[in-house]
Amino acid sequence: MKQKLSYLALPLILAAAFTTQARADGETIAVFTKNQTNPFFQTVRVGADNMAKSLNAKTLQYIPTKPDSIPEQLSQIEDVVVKKPSAIVFTPVDYKAMVPGVEKINDAKIPVVNITDRSAGGNFVSFVGADDYSLGLETARYLLKTLGGKGNIVIIEGVKGSLTNIDRVRGFNDALKENPGAKLLASQPGNYQRLQALQVMENLSQSNSQIDGVLAANDAMAIGAIEALDGANRKAQVIGINGTKEAIDAIKTGKLLASGDYNGFTQGCLGTMMAIRNLRDQPVIREIVLKPTVITKDNFQPFDVPLEQRSCPTFEEAGKLGSK
Amino acid sequence: MTNITKEAIAPPRSFLSQDAIQLFYRLLAALLICAVLAAVSDSFLSLGNILNVLRQASLTFFIASGLTLVVLTAGLDLSVGANVALSACIAGTVIHKTGSPALGILTGLACGGIVGFLNGVMVTALRIPSFIATYGMLWVLNGLTYWYMAGETIHGFPAGFRQIGSGYLFGLPIPVYLLLVFLAIGTLFAQRTIWGQQIYAIGANPVAARLSGIPVARLLLLVYAVSGTMAGLASIIFLSRLNSAEADIGESLTLPAIAAVLIGGTSLFGGVGTMFGTFIGALILTLVLNGMNLLSVSANWQPLVTGIIVVLAVWLDMKTGRRTQ
Repeated sequence: MKQKLSYLALPLILAAAFTTQARADGETIAVFTKNQTNPFFQTVRVGADNMAKSLNAKTLQYIPTKPDSIPEQLSQIEDVVVKKPSAIVFTPVDYKAMVPGVEKINDAKIPVVNITDRSAGGNFVSFVGADDYSLGLETARYLLKTLGGKGNIVIIEGVKGSLTNIDRVRGFNDALKENPGAKLLASQPGNYQRLQALQVMENLSQSNSQIDGVLAANDAMAIGAIEALDGANRKAQVIGINGTKEAIDAIKTGKLLASGDYNGFTQGCLGTMMAIRNLRDQPVIREIVLKPTVITKDNFQPFDVPLEQRSCPTFEEAGKLGSK
Repeated sequence: MTNITKEAIAPPRSFLSQDAIQLFYRLLAALLICAVLAAVSDSFLSLGNILNVLRQASLTFFIASGLTLVVLTAGLDLSVGANVALSACIAGTVIHKTGSPALGILTGLACGGIVGFLNGVMVTALRIPSFIATYGMLWVLNGLTYWYMAGETIHGFPAGFRQIGSGYLFGLPIPVYLLLVFLAIGTLFAQRTIWGQQIYAIGANPVAARLSGIPVARLLLLVYAVSGTMAGLASIIFLSRLNSAEADIGESLTLPAIAAVLIGGTSLFGGVGTMFGTFIGALILTLVLNGMNLLSVSANWQPLVTGIIVVLAVWLDMKTGRRTQ
């Protein structure tokens, strides 16, 4: 029965393909993100909505109520497999633990695009992500260049063992190795939390009379560190990662030196674009690893626009952004 | 019947009783950690660092102080961290919208207090075990906060308001004054008022407490409301110190507060514990992290060290303790 229907549908599809207008629209794209708490994923969701809207498709957002909950995302996958959206844009809450979930989606024959964290297994239409290592490396290089390649540096790490933190801190350390004049005073955990970073910085200020630069693995920690330095009437150059609105404001006022853009908005845009293009039998890019942008006082303007007013890149631009 | 009643109501705790001995050992544990840190780190004993530790311990203490009363009644409040997060986000919005820090502070305290009161209603009127009631509340609060903030942060508050959390008065950080004030009020309330004594009695034996005419339900409502209001106070300190509010601050605040109460010697079974003990508990937790930062202990080892110290502190307490449950 199904086969017969598809024979009937084939001429229709062919006919539609030759008309200039987009064939079928109104697809539903289920977008999976890790949590509601990290502003980064908000940018991903807005990017996905923005792209879907421009292509006359709809999005359905799936977010665990408990941040980064593995069982919750698994049960959301079970729901989505029953509901059968046209396609899925998927960020695993854990790149290894969610592989069985991805396999469920594959078994249900729902096309899925992997964004942000690369899944350790499963079949994907394409992958869109950023490179944490380069983010760490480039932001740290910028800080060290500003400091003239020397100075006392402190690293504030994110959650130990998380993929993003491992790669970012590796990037920080490699940039430090390129600058023998720079001295790493301490590399301490802030768990991506503002309060913890503030306290770490208060404590380190006690044991180190001279701190010239701070490399924080996300913006919230960078700004926590700045609060601690301000409180102690000390000055150091601080960088963060994620390009949050708060970070842009701090860059504008000169409190924060720079933030590495993790391109959440673009990831949401391109992930959704690839999912929809795949549904419409248009060519897709198998892999897009976005190059980091170091947002500084010289180039912050495009990032200082409300998310809703930003525009997604076109397919041609996407090709230049970091495809392989 | 009368016998049980008389035994159940704990005798008024004088400061030089066994409580004092208990506290002495706890203080000793804290001093031991201090001595070790002073020996291995030059910067530990500096005035700046000591003030630092006190200021950092204050936030944990504010949350833990209200929680101590709850634990004294043999209850638990798992929603305190989530309450801090919601109160901070709402108070932050009010300050932004109205430009009035005073209004923001009142809103934060009220929000915290209302949440605590609702916890109390669940525990008393609906008779839901506090663990479950406040666990449910934790989810409700998280849900509300995530929805309300939608992944955004609120940041940037007036300089005057920032003074509460970051300012100094006669060389001492303002949160340290608040710490001393609330430590004194908490101690006096628990040790020297009838309500305080009745709270101990409820924890020691709720049935006997009820039979002896103690208004158990009313006191429990009060205790949960106070715990919530202290979470509201912590949210104000957080806002003013961090200059920002975000949805996910709660999770990292709840467990340290509970740990501070327990390290401080308050029994989960109720009826035993002091406010000063909780202060020492908060201090020990802060000292450990401070010390590890000063010594640049690798991020890999920090959770392990924290865990060992927490367990050691409680073990030391049980070895020296007079009452074991």
